[in-house]
Amino acid sequence: MAGKLDIRRWSGVLDVGQSLSGVVLALFLWTHLLLVSSILLGPEAMSWVARNMELAFLSDDGHGYPWVVSLIAIGVGLLAAFHVLVALHKLPLSLRQQKALKSQMQVINHSDTRLWSWQAGTGIVILLLLPVHLWLVGSAPETIGPVGSAQRIWGEYGYLIYLPLLLTVELHAAIGLYRVALKWGAARDLNTRARLRTIKTVLSVLFVGIGLAALLAFLPHTPA
Amino acid sequence: MKLIYTDCLVVGAGLAGLRVAIAAKERGHDTLVLSLIPAKRSHSAAAQGGMQASLGNTVKGLGDNEDVHFQDTVKGSDWGCDQTVARMFAHCAPKAVREMSHWGVPWTRVTKGPREVVVNAERITINEAEAAHGLINARDFGGTKKWRTCYTADGTGHSLLYAVDNKAISMGIPVHERVEALHIIHDGERCHGVVARCLITGELRAYIAKATTIATGGYGRIYEVSTNAIICEGIGQALALDTGVATLGNMEAVQFHPTAIVPVGILTTEGCRGDGGLLRDKDGYRFMPDYEPEKKELASRDVVSRRMTEHMRKGKGVDSPYGPHLWLDITLLGRKHIETNLREVKEICENFLGIDPAKDWIPVRPTQHYSMGGIRTTPTGESPQLKGMFAVGEAACWDMHGFNRLGGNSLAETVVGGMIIGKYVADFCDNNDLVLDTGLAQGFVDKARAEIDALIDGEGRENAWQLKAAMQKVMMDYVGIFRNGPELDEAVRQLKSLLERAANLGVTCKKRHANPELVEALRVRRMLKVALTVACGAAARTESRGAHAREDFPQRNDKDWLCRTLASWPDPKALEPRLSYEPLDVMQMELPPGYRGYGADNAIAHPDTARREAEIADILAKLGDNASREARQQALMPFELPESLRPANERLSDRLHGGVSGKTQLTNDNAPASNTAGDDNS
Amino acid sequence: MSGRILTFNIFRYDPQEPGDKPKMVQYQLAETSGMTVFIALNRLRQEQDPSLQFDFVCRAGICGSCAMVINGFPTLACRTLTAKYPKGEITLMPLPGFELIGDLSVNTGKFMRELAERLQLWLHPKGGDMDIHRLEDPMAPEEAAKLYELERCVECGVCVSACATKQMRDTFVGAVGMMKIARFELDSRDGRSADDFYHVIGNQDGVFGCMTLLGCQDNCPKDLPHMQQIAYLRRKMASTLL
Repeated sequence: MAGKLDIRRWSGVLDVGQSLSGVVLALFLWTHLLLVSSILLGPEAMSWVARNMELAFLSDDGHGYPWVVSLIAIGVGLLAAFHVLVALHKLPLSLRQQKALKSQMQVINHSDTRLWSWQAGTGIVILLLLPVHLWLVGSAPETIGPVGSAQRIWGEYGYLIYLPLLLTVELHAAIGLYRVALKWGAARDLNTRARLRTIKTVLSVLFVGIGLAALLAFLPHTPA
Repeated sequence: MKLIYTDCLVVGAGLAGLRVAIAAKERGHDTLVLSLIPAKRSHSAAAQGGMQASLGNTVKGLGDNEDVHFQDTVKGSDWGCDQTVARMFAHCAPKAVREMSHWGVPWTRVTKGPREVVVNAERITINEAEAAHGLINARDFGGTKKWRTCYTADGTGHSLLYAVDNKAISMGIPVHERVEALHIIHDGERCHGVVARCLITGELRAYIAKATTIATGGYGRIYEVSTNAIICEGIGQALALDTGVATLGNMEAVQFHPTAIVPVGILTTEGCRGDGGLLRDKDGYRFMPDYEPEKKELASRDVVSRRMTEHMRKGKGVDSPYGPHLWLDITLLGRKHIETNLREVKEICENFLGIDPAKDWIPVRPTQHYSMGGIRTTPTGESPQLKGMFAVGEAACWDMHGFNRLGGNSLAETVVGGMIIGKYVADFCDNNDLVLDTGLAQGFVDKARAEIDALIDGEGRENAWQLKAAMQKVMMDYVGIFRNGPELDEAVRQLKSLLERAANLGVTCKKRHANPELVEALRVRRMLKVALTVACGAAARTESRGAHAREDFPQRNDKDWLCRTLASWPDPKALEPRLSYEPLDVMQMELPPGYRGYGADNAIAHPDTARREAEIADILAKLGDNASREARQQALMPFELPESLRPANERLSDRLHGGVSGKTQLTNDNAPASNTAGDDNS
Repeated sequence: MSGRILTFNIFRYDPQEPGDKPKMVQYQLAETSGMTVFIALNRLRQEQDPSLQFDFVCRAGICGSCAMVINGFPTLACRTLTAKYPKGEITLMPLPGFELIGDLSVNTGKFMRELAERLQLWLHPKGGDMDIHRLEDPMAPEEAAKLYELERCVECGVCVSACATKQMRDTFVGAVGMMKIARFELDSRDGRSADDFYHVIGNQDGVFGCMTLLGCQDNCPKDLPHMQQIAYLRRKMASTLL
């Protein structure tokens, strides 16, 4: 069957791609959040993390290469763009579809469908906010650090982006992973599914908590 | 007038109707099916337990063959059936089961090695043969000598209906859904199709066909409580009555199933008892062995239902707001068995009773279940009076059931009868032209339109639902399991008065398209006539035979009543059907009337019985001991079948012993004539 | 629970009646013990409004005719006990996603027939010995049992109406279509290959359009394993990509 990748099979490839890109993005997201939340252990910890992310251990002067961060930002941006493109055509794009969906959801009470509508809604918010975030850090990678980040978040009103982004992205990622798991058959029975759903909620709450704590932790470092 | 032409028109898209449609289509005839509902919703789907066919794969079916199945069927019918038809049926049943397998039915299969089953309240181990592994399994059902009922868990009807409808879809057979036939178009001798009304748009259409097959099922809903789907209202029988010439056979033969849940009357399959379930009274006592020491819970349905009623009349029923009932105990089968082989039963118990049948006993009571009577046909399925009108399945009185049907023989009749009669229908289409008399068709369309106009625009004030409820109550109260002269006369009197009132029906909802009240009003008149054929037939038949049990005439009377009741309605204004009788010829029988094996042997013998028995002994003696069972059978009662269905059925035992002839030593004790006294139990 | 007065809010609309508009109409009915929505609707029609349209056939949860949305959940009305609703308020809506015949009656039959024709939902025998007079081919008992498990679908339409994906995409085959494909895919008597099935459901209208919202799984009155079966098909179809 190898090599028979005709046009009809694209929908399969795209569907697999959507799941895979989503999983990678979610894993990146949580790693990223954990790294940023190193601020909770103190400014030194965060500086160390930021240095190492810039591959400081490879450079002679120990300052690393800030463009590595820009590269990561570009990579994430591309992956996210792919994810959006494949996901988008599953959303109700026409007015007719939106009406049908709305009337069905009004008549039928189903929590996983509501979860999905949350996922779709948060996806659209992320679509708007993520590019801003990526631009802010990608264009000035050298500023990442306790003070630079604090300035961006609290001094330059970045929290107006970061707070909603944190909330939406954590909901979106956890719901997404839960759905990917079910989609490919991780839950053999309904008890497993209930457990997965609990794990999903715990993950969302946990990471939103960590994220909020980290954002607040930057506050004292804001330059006057 | 909208006219639609086809070669083969089938009214009713249950198993029997679809099977006929497929047979006609296979032979290249244009085929069209009409149905009140989508085909897969037909009442065939509700048959849970299984269909009988003498495959003999399971060790408990070893030695089974057409002869044993034939004998069980005839005895079960209390000698009321047409033995030729019973023979045609028993011969083709294994073929139908195998054909269904090719069409996709996932028959439950035999697993080799030891298996624990419950027989007579005890767990015993049976050992299935290595060679039988993966072949079609069978379970035990009432009134059969062998385990012969092939099944898919307890959804056999569902699986069969889906496989057959899928086959029909694959062949591109159109089903006009939500269409109700109102009149048969005929000229008194030949049937030309039907007038039908679309239940959505209200449009009247004339469907013109070479052959018209009625496959509309039974008439259970003339009773207040019935296991039947609510569409089983006897409309097919009413269509035939409406012609004035076609006859209905044995309408008084109505079966009551022993185990429908109380109060809603939903069936729990006979498989519950076949698999080892027990009946208990209010003291938890297992009472059936007291009445029927040999067959116990697995006596014929009519017998078990009567014994249950007797026991409740002795005050042993469990009191409930809905009257007394008894218990069906399947807890001893174990949860695993219930959750795999009796799943639908479990669902029904959970949803309608809120109980867990693996822990709790199920409240049950005998309830109207099956119509042995129906449109009288010849063995080829055609009406003897109206050429080109066929009937098949429960709608028909093809007459393999006589006065009582064995469990598992109705589902079998749908696909076996459909298979055989379908070929005769196709023959008819080959040999006859489409006759198009638009004037005749217009006449029947006008008649239907006039009836609808009168209901909508007329002055009638009678309410259809009230009349129907009154009729159903009369049938419940006076034409039930036990019957007697005064009550039957009362039933006839009240039904006639209801039929008179039905002339004054009117509807308050004036829509001419989708109008449930109009549908009801059109049906209730027709149903009343059907109910009258049942009540009048029962009142006239002064004997007890099979499911027709007269308290005032408790004996089976072969001398005076070895005959089939025929009902027709020549005068549309009359308040009663015309009854006539068609004798059953003992001298043609392979199995002359004998003892059925239940209760006292008190039948009044037919004068020919002894003569025929002597003749049979003589014929068999002349054939000698070496004659095959097929040769012996042919010598006693030759029967016809379409050529493609004549070959012998191969069985596992043939393969193991070599040859397809079926000459196995296993069958000696089941030879055709070694019937009668008390060998009903093994 | 008998003795209560139940309040029914029922969707009413007759698309064939000129000038009729969709509306909710309220009815009251005294509850009786063991009352189901089947019993209640019939009494409402016989006693209060003879024009009320709905579909019942077996009234035993077997035939799949009577699916409707009851207080927000699509299910079989015949086996829904009114006692289940402690407030005594019952709202009935027709199944969304099907052609409306009138009031609570929708045309599921037409939908299912078209789906069967489109997806070829029947056994395509491998060929071989189809002689009905000879001993049948054996089948593993476990396979037969598994096939029956998947075959218990009654085509009630609940999964279709509960599926938001299906509402947005008319051509989507829905859980009922996929469940049936899974049933034939599993059947050793069926001659179609994974590739053949891929042509039918390996696309946006099939497993790759399904968003795993699981309205099918959560509402199926027969508790069919939609979640597992669709995931199984998806893996199977995805594996043909390699």
